[in-house]
Amino acid sequence: MRKNFVIVWLVVLPILSMAQIADSSKIWPTVITLQEVKVSADLPLNNSDVVDFYRTNHFATLDNINARLDGMALIKRGAYALEPQLNGFSGGQLNVTIDGMRMFGACTDKMDPITSYIEPSNLKSIAINQGTNGSINGCNIGGSVDLCLMEPNQKSLNPYASSLGFGYESVSKSKNVLFSIASIKNKWAWGFDAVYRKNENYRSGDDQIIPFSQFQKANLHAVVKYTPDDIQNYKLDLLYDDARNVGYPALPMDVGIARASLMAFEYQLNNKNQLKAKIYYNTIHHVMDDSKRDSLYILDSNTDGKSDSVYMRMDMPGKSSTLGAYVQFVLPWNERNRLLVKADNYTHNSLAEMTMHMRYPGSALVPSMYMQTWPQMLRNVSGIFLQNTTFVSQKLQIMMNGRLDYNMDILQSQYGQEQFSVFNYSLSKKQSKLVKSLNLSVQYYLLKSLSMVTTMGYSERMPTIGERLGFYLYNAYDGYDYIGNPYIKPEKSNYFRLAFQFSRPKIKTNFSQSFSYLRNYIMGVTDTQIPAMNFYANGIRVYQNIPSAKLYSTDLQVLFNPINSLSFYLNSKFTMGELGSGEPMPLIPPLNTVFAAQYQKGKFMLQAECENSLAQNRINLNYGERQTPSYTIFNFKSGYTFKLFKYALDASLGVTNILNKAYYAHLDWGRIYRPGRSLEMFLKYSF
Amino acid sequence: MKHILKFIYILLISVLLISCDKNNEAPTIDPLDGYTKLKEGYALGASAKVEIWGKKNFFMGYNNLVVVLYDSLNLKEKITDAHIHFMPLMTMGMGAMAMQHTCPIENPDETDTNDVFPGAVAFVMPTTADGTWKLGIAVHNHKYDKEGEANFDITVDNPETSVLTVFTALAPDNNKLVLSILEPSKPKVGINDIEFTLHRKASMMDWPADDSYTIEITPEMPSMGHGSPNNVNPVSSGNGHYKGKVNFTMTGEWKINVLVKKDGNLISKDLYFNITL
Repeated sequence: MRKNFVIVWLVVLPILSMAQIADSSKIWPTVITLQEVKVSADLPLNNSDVVDFYRTNHFATLDNINARLDGMALIKRGAYALEPQLNGFSGGQLNVTIDGMRMFGACTDKMDPITSYIEPSNLKSIAINQGTNGSINGCNIGGSVDLCLMEPNQKSLNPYASSLGFGYESVSKSKNVLFSIASIKNKWAWGFDAVYRKNENYRSGDDQIIPFSQFQKANLHAVVKYTPDDIQNYKLDLLYDDARNVGYPALPMDVGIARASLMAFEYQLNNKNQLKAKIYYNTIHHVMDDSKRDSLYILDSNTDGKSDSVYMRMDMPGKSSTLGAYVQFVLPWNERNRLLVKADNYTHNSLAEMTMHMRYPGSALVPSMYMQTWPQMLRNVSGIFLQNTTFVSQKLQIMMNGRLDYNMDILQSQYGQEQFSVFNYSLSKKQSKLVKSLNLSVQYYLLKSLSMVTTMGYSERMPTIGERLGFYLYNAYDGYDYIGNPYIKPEKSNYFRLAFQFSRPKIKTNFSQSFSYLRNYIMGVTDTQIPAMNFYANGIRVYQNIPSAKLYSTDLQVLFNPINSLSFYLNSKFTMGELGSGEPMPLIPPLNTVFAAQYQKGKFMLQAECENSLAQNRINLNYGERQTPSYTIFNFKSGYTFKLFKYALDASLGVTNILNKAYYAHLDWGRIYRPGRSLEMFLKYSF
Repeated sequence: MKHILKFIYILLISVLLISCDKNNEAPTIDPLDGYTKLKEGYALGASAKVEIWGKKNFFMGYNNLVVVLYDSLNLKEKITDAHIHFMPLMTMGMGAMAMQHTCPIENPDETDTNDVFPGAVAFVMPTTADGTWKLGIAVHNHKYDKEGEANFDITVDNPETSVLTVFTALAPDNNKLVLSILEPSKPKVGINDIEFTLHRKASMMDWPADDSYTIEITPEMPSMGHGSPNNVNPVSSGNGHYKGKVNFTMTGEWKINVLVKKDGNLISKDLYFNITL
């Protein structure tokens, strides 16, 4: 759990200000007041100190940054590829995009959220939109997370910048190498960054080695930008991410290989219409691997009641690819109104298979057992998004947005169709559905430095492929196999959010409350009619629409700079969820607070951080949840910038989990202890 | 982009529709499609040449057999109006110790089906060292109103996976019964038809079909310890046939456990058939 304070500013502040309105910096004054922060998030930049810190933080994985974001929590199945959860929403309820591009993990067990294919060094910023209001890139009910890819900054004074960094963490013997290079010449700019990480099994706070917590990965990103004149530019992005031998201690399987590649071509016209057009393609190949696991199971024979041991191996490959395009532009149709229009289309193709090989000791391999856990399906979504911002007065701005998504699912697999005939479904090959979203947001300045933002919205979201056509997807948390429901209805949310933003030069505060009333909430419901598939499965759960559910979240963030060299940051988040039956919603984190203090003078930086999480006693027993105790951990970090042959050498030394606390968070599957005390060392040379 | 995709979809869908249409215009049915000729000979006295076609060589189990008759005076002409009777006979042992029995049969209808005569024989045991099968075909050629018999020495294979079982019903029934599984002959993942025949041994030479029992099935994947949902127990459809539905959730080796009941009493024990997908 490494953290740095500056990254939190860099990432959170623009989001604080932009949480409601992603693209209206000209209208929303809070964005203007924070402009310098937003600008400094651009890399490479003019302010070398900020650059250094930001890059130092590239040693952190994206997960570590996400954990510090507003309303964000992480569902943890291993040391790698944590699944983002925003105010209690996750998976298909959230819209995670890369520069507005849709990308979907290829693992049926959510082992590869797309954030796992992106490295902080690939990113310029992260933009979060809460609740139904985040529908710019697709209808969803929980919010959106847009990861903006890094690009060379033409305005940079330094036309040529490169860096090489090394990092080491003792707890997992983690070795990290980072490299980046960027160059700007006349109308052309290009950049390249590469990351390699290798972690061994980490040691937890009770001095145990956690088996299957290793991972290694490489990530490459290249960008070329051509700017023929002042208002136009063309950009090509190529990204390749390759993770191997990724352990998931909380799951019965690991990942042999998870590979993603992404290509995107963008055109921008920066006149008053701010036209942006993009075409993209991405593909993911994900192969699970249980060859290192002890796969001996004891089986009670049905016929003679005797116990028998069997060996089983499973091959579980998954593929996912997305081809899409969008175009967006702004129509400032009068002095007070600005209309943003975005039209998009994407086609997502996915297939996941499972083949089980089983052997009883002393006998031949039984015939292999094959099924399509995600039958091959093509999902095509065409959407249109409109957002009008009205600048009523200095004190009042009103924003309205709406989106329509026409969703077409085409089942391409005859096999998948036949599989589902087992459950008495005769599946139609094609199913189409229209989902919509409508939001109203009002920002009112009570005082010059205090504003209130109220958002009301309604949105629907399409069920995911797993929720529609998943076939015996094992969930290691509750031990049930999940089966999709081909005719499940879209989930609906009525959303209300009230946020207060207070901004003075020395103190910036954001306090927000949000409430979602969900209908047709999608959840697995135990079906006793269908026999369990496996001897280790507890039974079968079928995705169903629960009539209603409620989610409430509150967040508080305070950034305080009493004097120039000293700053304090507080981020506190709390979520409560309840199903219509009155039961608590499963996998909801308890109150979590991060408090950090940073001292920075010249080339020297010192930072202390404390993270506290209360116990979670509101649990869903039916889902197999157990109470999670509270924990508090402390981290420390220091940094110094040396001059070496007129270039900067950043050295950083830190200790995380100073007290070597054995702890886990409520969203950690398998209640596996997180890493214990760890010494971290980073060195980065910029030239 | 959208237009292109839409266009592609329309194109794809129309291609699909067109190709479906073509499939629907299937021409005349070949009644011997999938069958091979197993035996041929003459039914002496009936002026008929007899051909026996099967899906594979004779095996222990319910054999779908197709009899094709040709006019022995004009071998190009098929006989389509005849009465055919299967006469399988097993001879066990030698000389005075020899013992003979037949097995369940389903004689073809008197009227042809697409010029041929489909029927069935359920061989209850394979050919062994001291047991040999003969298959007699009695033909009543209605064209000339002549009767005759063709006799074939045949070999009945013992299939790798058993599809027929002979068992003695538990008390109070005590009958000797023959249970054959006919379907699914091409099992696939998903819902499948399942069909059994049940015959009773009335005497060595008489094995009539019996519709008075009830059959219950429970599919199971023994290696995984699970079954499948939404199966439909077979019910009698007459002539000893029982039809239902069976579901397979995945490929692999399945076991279909069968319970046979008479008047609500279970009269079978440890009956099952294996099916590998």
